Amino acid sequence: MFASIREHLAASAPHDAVRAAHHAAAAHGKDVSAREEKSAAVVFEGTAVERFRQALEAVAGHCSVVRGEAAAADALRRIILERGARRIAVSDSPLARRIATLAEANSGEESELIDDAGAAELFDCDLGVTGAQWGVAETGTLVLESDAERHRLASLVPSAHVAVIEARSVRQTLGEVLRALGSGGAERLSRTVTFITGPSRTSDIELTLAIGVHGPAALYVIIIEGEGGTDGG
Amino acid sequence: MQHPTSETFDRNAREALEDVQLRGALRNLATTFGERRKLAILTVEDWEGLRERARASKDETLAHLDKYLKAFAENAERAGAQIHWASDGAEACRVVLDLIRERGATRVVKSKSMATEEIHLNAALEAEGLAPVETDLGEWIIQLAHETPSHIVVPAIHKSKRQIAELFAEKVGVPPTDDVAVLTGAARRILRQSFAEAEVGISGVNFGVAETGTILILENEGNARLTTSLPRTHIAVMGIEKVIPRLEDLDMFLKLLPRSGTGQQLTAYQSLITGTKRRAEDEGPEELHIVLMDNGRSRMLAHPVTRQSLACIRCGACLNACPVYQQVGGHAYGSVYPGPIGAVITPQLSGLRTNAQLPYASSLCGACREVCPVKIDIPELLLHLRAEVTEGTAAGTADQRGPVKSRPLERLAFKLYARAWASPTLYLWGARVARVLQRLVVRDGRIGRVGGLMAKLAPPLAAWTEWRDAPPLAPRTFREQWREEHKG
Repeated sequence: MFASIREHLAASAPHDAVRAAHHAAAAHGKDVSAREEKSAAVVFEGTAVERFRQALEAVAGHCSVVRGEAAAADALRRIILERGARRIAVSDSPLARRIATLAEANSGEESELIDDAGAAELFDCDLGVTGAQWGVAETGTLVLESDAERHRLASLVPSAHVAVIEARSVRQTLGEVLRALGSGGAERLSRTVTFITGPSRTSDIELTLAIGVHGPAALYVIIIEGEGGTDGG
Repeated sequence: MQHPTSETFDRNAREALEDVQLRGALRNLATTFGERRKLAILTVEDWEGLRERARASKDETLAHLDKYLKAFAENAERAGAQIHWASDGAEACRVVLDLIRERGATRVVKSKSMATEEIHLNAALEAEGLAPVETDLGEWIIQLAHETPSHIVVPAIHKSKRQIAELFAEKVGVPPTDDVAVLTGAARRILRQSFAEAEVGISGVNFGVAETGTILILENEGNARLTTSLPRTHIAVMGIEKVIPRLEDLDMFLKLLPRSGTGQQLTAYQSLITGTKRRAEDEGPEELHIVLMDNGRSRMLAHPVTRQSLACIRCGACLNACPVYQQVGGHAYGSVYPGPIGAVITPQLSGLRTNAQLPYASSLCGACREVCPVKIDIPELLLHLRAEVTEGTAAGTADQRGPVKSRPLERLAFKLYARAWASPTLYLWGARVARVLQRLVVRDGRIGRVGGLMAKLAPPLAAWTEWRDAPPLAPRTFREQWREEHKG
C-alpha cells in the first residue's frame, strides 16, 4: 500500500509545485500562524467552574457545586433518593468511593453499593458513580482516563451517571486538556480516554431530540471546591 | 430490495421530487441543521482561520500520507493493536470475516461507520451466515427496513415517525406509538440484549492520530462506547485518509466537525482508544484490530485537485446546505455517499463510467464549499470530473479508458460557440440569422415548450424548454443599438 501511495504522490508532484507557487504568491503577507491564538473560543467572564456549569446545563446535564466531601455526599444522596436508585455501582476512584460510601450509608436500607461491578452486574444497576480526571469548562465536558480509574462501563451502562470532580481539575479549554494528555508521550497516554458531554442523545427520528439512548439518560456532575480530596482520585 | 443506482440520477431525482413526505423531512433537515450550524460557529472566535488551519493540516498529512500512516501503525501496534492492511473493500471484508471466524464468534454488534457501508460489510458477513446488529438508532432502523442510509450523519432522515413506528411494530413487536421517547426506549431495551451478548464489536474511526496510534470515535448515543468496550474483540475499520498528525490536532477537528454537522459544540461522547488494555484486569476488549483500508483512496492522491476530497471529515454539512440534496435526498444519488461530497468521491472510488451523472447533480452554487469545515472546493472538483466525463483525461479516477460520454455534437456545438463569440462579424451575422429563425418557436413573446419537428432539429432547445421558458433574442444587438443611436 505504501508503494501505491508514493507512486500516486509522485505523479502529482509537478501539479503540486505549480499550486505551491500559486499559494505562496497569494499568501504573501498573510500570516496563518498568527491566527492560531485567535481561534480560541470567545472569552468568558467568571470562573472555570461557573462556565462549566453553564455549558453542562445547556446540554441537559445537572451540575452541583459544593464545598467539601460531606456536602458532595449530601448531593449524591439527594440524587439517589430522587431517582429511587437501589443498586449503585461505584468505580475504583478513591474520591468517588469515599463520597459514595458516605452517601449510601445515610440513604436508608433500600440502596446498595457495588464495588468492582462486572459488566453483567452493571446492567442491573440504576446508577454509576465515578470520578473524573479533568473537566473542560468551555463545553461542560468530563475527561476520564483509564489509567487513573476504571470508568468505561460504570459511566455508561447504568441509566444514570454521577461524576464527582475537584474544582481544580476543571480547565478552560479542550485544547489545554489534549495538550496535557499528550504531554507525556505515547507511552504515558491512557489506553482509553473518554470525553463525556451531557447525557446520551439522538435525533435520528425526524430530528426530534430524545435523551437517553444507549448511554445514561441522566448525567450529574458534583464539583467539589475547597478542601476536597486528598490524592486527586 | 431494488435500490436506485447512480446511473439513473435524473430519473431518481424526478421520483424523489414527487415524494411529499420526503421533501418535508428534507426541508426540516435543511432548516434545523442550517440554523444550528450558524449559531454554533458564532461560539468560535476565528472560524475562518480554524478552517484554514484544518485544511492546511490535511494537505500536509495527505502530501506525506505514507509517513503518517506508518507512524500511526507503529504506534498503535506498540500499544497492542493489530494492524491489517486492505487494499480494497473486498479484502477488508475478508479480513473482518476471517477475524470473526478464527475466534469462533457469531454475535457481532456494529456502531455507525460509513467506511463499512462503503464496502458493504454487512452484506458480506450476512452472506457467510453472520447477523451483525447495527446499534446506532438510525442505522438499526434502516437495517430493519433493508434500506441504505440516505445521509452521512442521520441515516434514517428520509423516514417519518409513523413509518418508523410501523417498522418497529412489524419487525420487533413494539406497539405502534407516536411518541419518539417511547420508540427510542424500545430500541434501547432491545439492543441492550445484543450488547450484553456480543463477542465482536465493529466500529469505524473518525480520526487516527499518528503521534500516538490513537483512534478517536465520536457519537451521541453511547452505542459506539458499548460496541468498543463490552465485546472481547474490537475491529475498527479505518479509511487511510483519516490519519492526522498529533493528538492536539484533535482540538481543531473536534471544534469543526460537530458544529458543522449537527450544530453541536461537541457530541456527547468521544472515545480515544490507544491499543489494548495495559493489564488483564482492566476494562475493555482483549484484542483491537485496526483495518487500514485503501479502496481507491491512494489513487486520489495523484492529482491535487482530487486529493483535496480526501480531506473530508464526513461531517455532512455539504449535504445539509446543498439545494439539490435538499430537494431529492440521499437515495436519489444511488451511491453510498450522497450529496456534494458523494458526487465527488463516488466517481473517484467506484469509477466515473457508472457514476457519470453524479458530477452533473449540481448547479455549482457553491453552498457546499462555503460550509465545508476543511474548505474542500467541491465545485472545482465537479468541473474537473465533468471534464473527465467529456474528455477522458481520467487522472485520479478508477477508469483509464478514455471519455465516458464523448458527445461529439456537444463538442461541435461548443467549438462553433467559441468561434462565433471570438469573431465580431460572425457574432453579428449569427444573431441576425437566429433572430429570423426564432420566429419559428416564439409565441406571445416567449419561447415556451418546444416540441414536434423543432424538438427533433434542436434537442438542446427542447430539453431546456421542457421545464422553463426561454427569453427570445432582442430585436437588436447592443452594438447595433449603439451604432444607431450614435449615428452622426
